[in-house]
Amino acid sequence: MTIPQTLPSSPWTLPSRGRVGMFCFIAAEASIFTIFVVAYLFYLGKSVSGPTPREVLELPIFSSVCLLSSSLTIHLAVEFLRKGKSGAFRAAWGLTLLLGAIFLAATGLEWRRLIVEKGLTISTNLFGTTYYSLVGLHASHVTGGLIGLAVVMVLALAGKVRPEHSGPVDVLSLYWHFVDAVWVVVFTVVYVIGR
Amino acid sequence: MSSESMPIAGAGNLPGAARRVWLETLHEWLITVDHKKLGLMYIGYALFFLVVGGIEATIIRIQLAVPHAHFVSPEVFNRMFTMHGTTMIFFVAMPVLFGFANYLVPLMIGARDMAFPRLNAFSFWMTAFGGLLLYFSFLGGDGLYGAGSAPDVGWWAYAPLTSKAFSRGHSTDYWTVSLLASGFGTIGTAVNLVATILSMRCRGMTLGKMPLLAWLNLVMSGMLLFTITPLTAAQIMLMVDRYLDGHFFDTHAGGSAAIWMHFFWIFGHPEVYVLIIPCFAFVSEIVPVFSRKPIFGYPVMVAATVAIGGVSMSVWAHHMYTIGMTSYENAFFVLTTLAVGVPTGIKIFNWLGTMWGGKIRYAPPMMFCLGFLFQFLIAGLTGIMLGSAPFDWQLGNSYFVVAHFHYVIVGGILFALFAAFYYWYPKMTGRMLNDTLGKWHFWVFLIGFHLTFDFMHIPGLLGMPRRIYTYEPGRGWAIWNMIATIGVAFQIAGILIFVFNLVHSYFRGRVAGDDPWDAWTLEWATSSPPAACNFAVLPEVRSRRPLWDLKHPEDPDWKYE
Amino acid sequence: MDPNETRLTDGVRLPAPTAWPVVLAFGLTLVFAGLLTTAAVSLLGAVFCLAGCVGWFRQVLPHERHEMVPAPPVPAPAVTSRTEVERIEIAREIHRARIPIEIYPVAAGLKGGLAGSVAMAALAMLYGLLSRGSVWYPINLLSSIVFADALHLPETYLTSFHAVLLLVAALLHLVTSVLVGLLYGVMLPMFPRRPILLGGLIGPVLWSGLLYATLGFINPLLNQRIDWRWFVASQIGYGVVAGLVVVRQQRVRTRQFMPFAVLAGLEVPGILEGKEEERSEPQ
Repeated sequence: MTIPQTLPSSPWTLPSRGRVGMFCFIAAEASIFTIFVVAYLFYLGKSVSGPTPREVLELPIFSSVCLLSSSLTIHLAVEFLRKGKSGAFRAAWGLTLLLGAIFLAATGLEWRRLIVEKGLTISTNLFGTTYYSLVGLHASHVTGGLIGLAVVMVLALAGKVRPEHSGPVDVLSLYWHFVDAVWVVVFTVVYVIGR
Repeated sequence: MSSESMPIAGAGNLPGAARRVWLETLHEWLITVDHKKLGLMYIGYALFFLVVGGIEATIIRIQLAVPHAHFVSPEVFNRMFTMHGTTMIFFVAMPVLFGFANYLVPLMIGARDMAFPRLNAFSFWMTAFGGLLLYFSFLGGDGLYGAGSAPDVGWWAYAPLTSKAFSRGHSTDYWTVSLLASGFGTIGTAVNLVATILSMRCRGMTLGKMPLLAWLNLVMSGMLLFTITPLTAAQIMLMVDRYLDGHFFDTHAGGSAAIWMHFFWIFGHPEVYVLIIPCFAFVSEIVPVFSRKPIFGYPVMVAATVAIGGVSMSVWAHHMYTIGMTSYENAFFVLTTLAVGVPTGIKIFNWLGTMWGGKIRYAPPMMFCLGFLFQFLIAGLTGIMLGSAPFDWQLGNSYFVVAHFHYVIVGGILFALFAAFYYWYPKMTGRMLNDTLGKWHFWVFLIGFHLTFDFMHIPGLLGMPRRIYTYEPGRGWAIWNMIATIGVAFQIAGILIFVFNLVHSYFRGRVAGDDPWDAWTLEWATSSPPAACNFAVLPEVRSRRPLWDLKHPEDPDWKYE
Repeated sequence: MDPNETRLTDGVRLPAPTAWPVVLAFGLTLVFAGLLTTAAVSLLGAVFCLAGCVGWFRQVLPHERHEMVPAPPVPAPAVTSRTEVERIEIAREIHRARIPIEIYPVAAGLKGGLAGSVAMAALAMLYGLLSRGSVWYPINLLSSIVFADALHLPETYLTSFHAVLLLVAALLHLVTSVLVGLLYGVMLPMFPRRPILLGGLIGPVLWSGLLYATLGFINPLLNQRIDWRWFVASQIGYGVVAGLVVVRQQRVRTRQFMPFAVLAGLEVPGILEGKEEERSEPQ
């Protein structure tokens, strides 16, 4: 069918489907995290046996700074890619990857300390259950993001990421920003309010 | 169900060639990313599970027909009502609505496909495999009673019944894991629908000129993003409890059983609106065409839908009045529950306003829509009754509740779905469904529906609790249960007529042509069934009824919108 | 890339069919199924998942795979056999009118509500004077909706003057009166035959009936103190006065179908181009 095109061809622009899709995905993820955060807050101080958060948790300042600053580097990386500066893009992207990996390693070390030294596992008490679920859910998202970042890094080193790919790369950076933003909430809930 | 291109070349008399054609067709459907084929697969899959869930319902009704019956054992009875509820919600209602949304949304907004066609295929297969995994529980695993381990904890699986102490083996895990798997598919579909509707519209189709079906599916998908995910989160918690010895819902370790209820119903109640909003969409498309008038109050319809979407997110605890909440919580949830009736009422009046003064054609799609209107109204009224906390304290967990929500789901959702089948079948297959059979289907099913679910309210008022295996004679419940079971026979007859009509009309039905109903939205502007690319040339629209503009060039809509 | 942009004459570009999504879905399901059976199943599923992810990735990057399908013949333009259009006559001079054609301005409802509030207050105070010898009695009763404890106190309390109670009662009375007045302003044009009968009599009587039936459950103490004949009388007084004031106002035409530029009060030549402005989403 052809609708007679009597209108002068006015510009017809629609939002990018990649960005819309990612925002929807982020909305869905955000509500999963909301439920876990609510559960964490609801169960604060309801454990019938120790250890308590105050006894075992230490503020992960360094790794948090690493993760949050990776948001800045990934933003810069996308900007570099748009402008066609592939060397700077690779450097900033690599830095993001490194900062994310440091965060993940720090989380791993913290868990090791909690499990081996403090004897807190997911089945020890209610605090253990909620703590490992919430932090673990976030860590699994970091892991997923790192895999995505690493794939892009490999492609970039092979010289296959060009300015015309800034769309998908930008969508991936949205996800990474989301992971960082969630950490702000998790940090506040677990290490500030919950301690 | 499709007459999509069958490879004809080489299809001789050789049996080998015939098998190759068959295999090629199977392969084509397996790897397809076409939204129409995926939509049809969703619908076919849902129809299969409709029959399965219907059989389970029949078993429940036969068991309850007379007092002291022993048609099935209590264990099987528990499995039947659990599987019936889970199947009907997750593997019938959602897939069939996704199927229609998949099929219709790109056509109605003038797009070639969904925004993410591969994600679309992935979502369908996740849903499909999730359902199969759930039903594998009948065969696999080591159940407590020997005969498989189908879940038996009810479709809302309240804690602590789901804890390892009370549910040994893997039966509850089958429920959790399969819903988790199909939940991934649901999230994928929701993301896809939102992205499609926002980013794939044809030239000229601003949000204000979108067909209502697209608008309502946009709201539905947006809601899904926020409602299916709490269920996913709760399922993950339940798995942590069951596999890693966590304590989320373990009351001995300070966990709470009530919080599972909250999490489940934060999903559970908006879910009802997720199911009914696409049905509103069908009715909003069908009623104008069969009344020969444009929809009354288009902007208000959109606003009311958005309002329903928003308010329905904050009504969940009206399922939980009987667990003992504070009076402030009770008052809050009573008020929101009653408030959500307002936009719903607006919609009903708008449909009536659409029919007012119109030239109504009583074809099967319109008949089912009229049935929907009356039944959904009654379902809404009993909903208002149950939404008031004091009333619910009396009748919560009784057969009155069962009657109420079956009135919504069968009387509302299923009737609107039948209307959609009769309305869009010609577009999907190129042939009309038989009119006479359709009328028989309508009347037989209508009688069956009212026999079963009208009279089911009464034992509820007389105090019959839901989910009981059997009951004592002499309580005044027996006669009503008998009538309800007799109604099931009528419903089965109606469904059989419908299925026969679907199959018969596919081969022998009247050829439909592109636009059998003289309708106004874009899907009727292409061939029936549409070619793989939907439109030869992508359309451009100037009003909400582009085909009206074409058919009545002397008086087009766009001058007045 | 954007399918909206594919307008080729010899064929149409569509996403190529691919098996990887179903492979990935199958793998994920197997991973889950392993939780219910044995770990080996999960392992097999993980292999499928990996294959699915890699295959899917290679489908879309660096370029989405497409296939060309032949463009179908352009179907005949949509026509209808029913070219005659019958119209519901609402306003002869407006083609495609939207009801209501005429409405009362917002000020009409405000004025009606305020006038009605005076009539109602006068009747209520008359009742107080005649039955209890105090004009403050109905005022204090009204504010007892908020100050429920007032009903437990002796009657002398209810018949004497209290500044706070007067303030609360006046606020409740005015807000409710204005809201109902606005409702009258919206509703009365929809019932054009006998607006006063509806707004002045039927509405207040229905409302009083509803209250009469339910107040005993909602607030039994207050219920004991209400004289329903006077209650109905004051409601009718409100309705008649508010209705009369509303219908005596000048009706105005709804500004339907006017281009955005006119509605916005812009005096520009070439007003029909203003139609394009209206294409921005009304929601």
